[in-house]
Amino acid sequence: MGTFKTPEKLEEVLVGFFKHMGDTPLIADKLLKSGLIIRFNYTDPDLVVVVDCSGDKIDVRPHDTDTKAIVEMSMSADIAHRFWFGMVNLTKALTRKEMVAKGPIPKVLKLLPAIKPSYSMYPQYLEANGYGEYNITKAYTPPSA
Amino acid sequence: MLPEFFEFYNPTKVVYEDGVATDLKPELDIIGITKYFIVSDHIINDLGLVQKVADGLAEAGFEVTGKYLDVAQDARLNDVQTCADQVKASGAEGIISIGGGSVIDTAKAVNILFSEGGDLVDDYSGAHTLTRPLKPHVVIPTTAGTGSEVTMIAVIYDEENKEKLAFPDKFLLPNLAVLDPQMTITLPPKMTAATGMDALTHAIEAYVGTQASPISDAFAMGAVELIFKNLVTATQNGEDVEARGGMLIASTMAGIAFTHSMCGCIHGMAHATGGLYRVPHGVANGIFLPFGMEYNFEEIKEKLVRLLPAMGEDASGLSEDEAARLAIAAVRKLSKQLNDLDALPIRLRDVGVPEEGLEAIAEGALNDGTSFYNPRDMDEEELLPYIKNAY
Repeated sequence: MGTFKTPEKLEEVLVGFFKHMGDTPLIADKLLKSGLIIRFNYTDPDLVVVVDCSGDKIDVRPHDTDTKAIVEMSMSADIAHRFWFGMVNLTKALTRKEMVAKGPIPKVLKLLPAIKPSYSMYPQYLEANGYGEYNITKAYTPPSA
Repeated sequence: MLPEFFEFYNPTKVVYEDGVATDLKPELDIIGITKYFIVSDHIINDLGLVQKVADGLAEAGFEVTGKYLDVAQDARLNDVQTCADQVKASGAEGIISIGGGSVIDTAKAVNILFSEGGDLVDDYSGAHTLTRPLKPHVVIPTTAGTGSEVTMIAVIYDEENKEKLAFPDKFLLPNLAVLDPQMTITLPPKMTAATGMDALTHAIEAYVGTQASPISDAFAMGAVELIFKNLVTATQNGEDVEARGGMLIASTMAGIAFTHSMCGCIHGMAHATGGLYRVPHGVANGIFLPFGMEYNFEEIKEKLVRLLPAMGEDASGLSEDEAARLAIAAVRKLSKQLNDLDALPIRLRDVGVPEEGLEAIAEGALNDGTSFYNPRDMDEEELLPYIKNAY
């Protein structure tokens, strides 16, 4: 069993974060410039999310399996979770097929510098939205005796 | 400090010998097929290099089922499909590519379609999409720079959409890389210098990069040493077999290094400059190399010091900063020697880049995928002064 116990919880946390990124001009402007449509296929638990950067604002659509995506990224929900903390070595993840990327790789790589600020935003977002239990960067506090 | 994780994978057999490209029977017997299709370009063909290899193959009892000589300066998507159709129709069992990076990358992509069928963009765009080994691919490089004979990537230009498509996949690694200095003897001085600086950039960026490992370091350092020993001689005297051989081996070692540890901002700036102003990749890398090293200085100085012996420099009595700056000075000295031979421009203004285009280069470098692997976090405003210095 992964970090997220249900698809609903995964959707609540990650889709919420994608929308938060979409509302952050520092990131959203560069994503929109890319014009990409990215489908994330998550497993354990299963969830499909499309992040559509082809319009004038970022459109995040869970359960969209119909739109023809330019890039498809498939990974476990746990890898996705760690990725947004900046804790995933992309080269390692791709070569070990922990992440499978289909589509124009240079375009994906170009997005990486743009989303770098999100690594510090993710733990803040989790804390601010009542998902602190998922913040793996939080210092470990031993249970009181 | 050791990296948290690294992977090293290089199944490509490498053979080196003066003249070995015409005497491949022992290596090809091990591969076990007899019918090969040759992929090359008209320049290489006109130099007689394709015929030389074909004669050697015929003498050893191998059949050349056909030749595709129309590979353009940039590996083109249209070439890939046309060539793959010809390979299939010829009854070939494997491919031999003879040329520089474009020819080799074209052949890698052709081999995907030849082995698996389908559509290159629709079916194989992405990272590591292949699931099994392709048909045999033998590479005979005719330049000493790209290292494509040992890299797991093919870069193909899509003319219709005006974009470069990258296909990184470990199954693209060729079966055999044939390093024969006779195949680079005719490379003109300017091409020798530019491709050699490309190899040096691969080696240095791989050595200081965020994905470096002790194994890639060993290949990178070996490449640096060979380049410092041989590049000027190979440029000055193209018929010097020892220098040509040294550069071929260096290019291959640098290729092994950077296919594992990636490249950084120097390639980013070179990609942007090539895209905007058509400056050849090796020339752009040669111009930007010392400036990129300066941009990354604080993050890479410790490793630069370790490169000094490979550059033929002595750091005795110097502080870490002084010794690291000596490494950058050594690169500048090498560039200057090539510049004095009229073989390598060392300023952007000398290759047709307009001063008002420098900001676009900084923006392009920042948006390049390589920026993700640069040792220093990239910032457009911080990078721009270094690009201006390169002007």
